[in-house]
Amino acid sequence: MTPISFVIVLIALATVVAGQLVLKKAMDIFNTVGHRHFDFLRPFALGIFLMTVQFFLNLGLLQRYDLSFIYPFQGLSVIMIAIAAAVVLREKLTMQLTIGSALISIGIVLVSMS
Amino acid sequence: MENKQSGLANPWIQLALSVAFVTAYEVLLKFGAIETANIANSGWSWTGLSGLASLYVWFAIPLVVLSLITWLHVLRHIALSIAFPISQVVHAFVPLASWIILGESINRLRGCGIALVLLGLAVVAKPVARLEERL
Repeated sequence: MTPISFVIVLIALATVVAGQLVLKKAMDIFNTVGHRHFDFLRPFALGIFLMTVQFFLNLGLLQRYDLSFIYPFQGLSVIMIAIAAAVVLREKLTMQLTIGSALISIGIVLVSMS
Repeated sequence: MENKQSGLANPWIQLALSVAFVTAYEVLLKFGAIETANIANSGWSWTGLSGLASLYVWFAIPLVVLSLITWLHVLRHIALSIAFPISQVVHAFVPLASWIILGESINRLRGCGIALVLLGLAVVAKPVARLEERL
């Protein structure tokens, strides 16, 4: 893996984490105020934008590497999202959830290394 | 966590559908990427836009949209810190689909990784399943 592709992987990873957090926030606002209010539209649009950026970066990576090699890198986002959801969205992060998320991340790293 | 809807509206069913859509579109995208790899040498190639020259990518795009719609429904009813780790079962499904459909190899290390992903999913999903049983 070249340095530029590693940077692209990191950017794709950051857009996944940020995109999911923003979309969850948008859906929470939607649940609270309903679709007639437009308060949820701004985070929703930002979330869609971030997911679109991630989609095309992922496609660019897929043109160069095996799907089973590239895709698992995104798995690191599991533990990052679990922690970010606890910090930013104040979701409850139990020990079981932390251990489970860490196992998934380690498993995905192993898949990436193979 | 609010998930009392039945049938297709049930967020857990939507989560399963989302996983199926993601697995399918990732494999289609790889087919598209293989097809367009020879035109991916320009300066903007890292954006992946050259992939749009493949029909497989266009077949994948509706599945991306469907996976997003189902995922948004999931996000409305399930905490992100629970739903996202469970959705990562795609990390087991995608390499398996790559092995079956694309002929990519799964060596021992990759197999162990997939097993750990599944173990982690079981750890995350077990308390949720218990909670569901009680409701």
